[in-house]
Amino acid sequence: MIRLLQEIFEKALARLGQHLTTYVPPLMVAVVILLAAYLVAKVVRWLILKAVKGISLDRFLRESGLSSMLDQSGRMRSASLVAAVAYWAILGVGLLTALDVFDTKLTSQIIESTVFLFPKLLTAAAILVAGFWLAQYLSRSVLVWAVNENIPLARRLAAVVKVIVGFVAVVIAADMLSFASQVFFAAFVIFAGAVALATGLAVGFGVRGAVQRFLLQQGERQPGEQEKSLFDHL
Amino acid sequence: MTDRILPEDALPAIDAIGAADIVIGIPSYNNSRTIGHVVRAAQAGLAKYFPKFTGVIINSDGGSKDGTREAVLSASVDYSRLLMVSTPLSGVHRLSFPYHGIPGKGSAFRLVFRIAQLLGAKACAVVDSDLRSITPEWIDLLVRPVLHAGYDFVAPYYHRHKYDGTITNSIVYPLTRALYGKRIRQPIGGDFGCSSALVSRYIAREDWETDVARYGIDIWMTTVAVAEGFKVCQSFLGAKLHDAKDPGADLSAMLQQVVGSVYSLMREYESVWITRQSSEPVDLFGFPFDVGLDPIDVNIERLLTAFRRGCEDLADIWAIALRPDTLRAVRNLASSSPSTSKSFHIEDSLWAQVVFDLACSHKRKPLERGHLVRSLTPLYLARVASFVIETKEMFAAQVEDRIEQLCLRFENQKPSLVAGWCGEDSATAQEFEVSHDSAPGV
Repeated sequence: MIRLLQEIFEKALARLGQHLTTYVPPLMVAVVILLAAYLVAKVVRWLILKAVKGISLDRFLRESGLSSMLDQSGRMRSASLVAAVAYWAILGVGLLTALDVFDTKLTSQIIESTVFLFPKLLTAAAILVAGFWLAQYLSRSVLVWAVNENIPLARRLAAVVKVIVGFVAVVIAADMLSFASQVFFAAFVIFAGAVALATGLAVGFGVRGAVQRFLLQQGERQPGEQEKSLFDHL
Repeated sequence: MTDRILPEDALPAIDAIGAADIVIGIPSYNNSRTIGHVVRAAQAGLAKYFPKFTGVIINSDGGSKDGTREAVLSASVDYSRLLMVSTPLSGVHRLSFPYHGIPGKGSAFRLVFRIAQLLGAKACAVVDSDLRSITPEWIDLLVRPVLHAGYDFVAPYYHRHKYDGTITNSIVYPLTRALYGKRIRQPIGGDFGCSSALVSRYIAREDWETDVARYGIDIWMTTVAVAEGFKVCQSFLGAKLHDAKDPGADLSAMLQQVVGSVYSLMREYESVWITRQSSEPVDLFGFPFDVGLDPIDVNIERLLTAFRRGCEDLADIWAIALRPDTLRAVRNLASSSPSTSKSFHIEDSLWAQVVFDLACSHKRKPLERGHLVRSLTPLYLARVASFVIETKEMFAAQVEDRIEQLCLRFENQKPSLVAGWCGEDSATAQEFEVSHDSAPGV
């Protein structure tokens, strides 16, 4: 009996030893890799922040309106953006390298999926950034036009344009990632339909008075009236 | 390469004429009602004042459907009634062509200048086709300084109603004067005279496909002449009476084309204007006299309503365009009680700062330029309202003094523009004098 127990215990110890020899060294290596990646990422971020002035990129971000879009205060600097991208990229590479040390089926799948998904992720991110920039640009165009033309509910009109264009960008990005694309598309169709219906109802009932006033004002602006002088200035 | 400017039938017509001394250009679009008078005035002016010169009148048309071109070609002058001292050596040629390119006054001028260049004209003048007050003397006043006094650019000087020319009075004249140091009173007047050297310079430029093709042409011509050191002068033409612009025309689009052109040229001629201080008078030819003018009514309440609405809805865009202290002062104006409309007033210093801030934003935000300048419309309307209220009881001379004060304010505040333009915002913030409390509300 004692011998049997001893055998079981020895086998358990052997298995544990085998597990330890199988997993602990890779785990330690993985931890070291992660730590190294973390340190390298920190150093690279620090170096970029110190070394890269990024004047041209700053100008591009400011002139394109991307800095104010990504950071409401509009004070985003290209150096911190580049440093953050480099930091997270190095950490990501470190994590994948650390996972690769284990050399298991699961880790291989994770790495494969990540590498396969990465270009798509980048593309989707670019689509989202471009889409939100376009949404902001078009919404501002609509806002300025509507205010200058004395169109009622100018800000809401601009907001609707912004949401629709932003939503289109999300739908395209989701489709790129094959992520619930049908759901997003269906949601978009429902949303667009709802906006059209709401606009119709609003024009029909809610803002009828406003529209009447607007049309009346437009009618009052016919030739021979006072406002023509404003256009007589050149 | 530049001959893509010319329509197919232009070259044979130019070859038939051979050469000309003076070219008068008249851009048009559906102006059959008024263009006959303008052509006759130009024809009489050439015959009466330049009988020994070969003159050509060119109508550059934007595709009129009301018989404008036919009106040009059929207009005739009875020379026997002109009381001419000498008989013209040759008749005045008249040509009418449709121009190519972006529809607009600038594209029309381009064709005129190109033909003038091919004809080897010594002087070229352009006049609007909707003028009711043009006389033969205008041709003399626009062309003679070029032919006989060596000037390259003759700007018009008119008497206008105190509420007419508000873009000129409130933005373009004070700004261009402060920038380039020349007191050209009507920089976007529309009727100019140019030398052959300046015409060649205009044609050689490559920015014809921009806002220059539209309403930006007038300020573009003036700025190029002044900034590039051409010899400039003004001629007093009397009153400018012309057809009202299309009431359906988009004011914000006009502002964008005119003010946007000023700002674009500021970038190009940065090295010229940034060092210039104060301003100097420009020679004035002609004999100034007082004239009767068409009355102009302005609906102040409507202007202020547009301003208040702009303050509510365009705050985000103004926050991009204006510095925080300028924006705060503008908001203070709008947030005051509407019952004080009759005393609404925008300080000159605040207005100058708005125009300067916008210039700096226009430089730094190339993708937002359209929004920024168009969003100026409600502010511009507020400035017009303020000006109308302030000058309601003033005579023309007093109004002119008032505009002079505004120009001096622009000149005095120019260092803040230079600092903002070069990116030294914080340094100039303290120099900015805006009395927030003294400004009565809307």
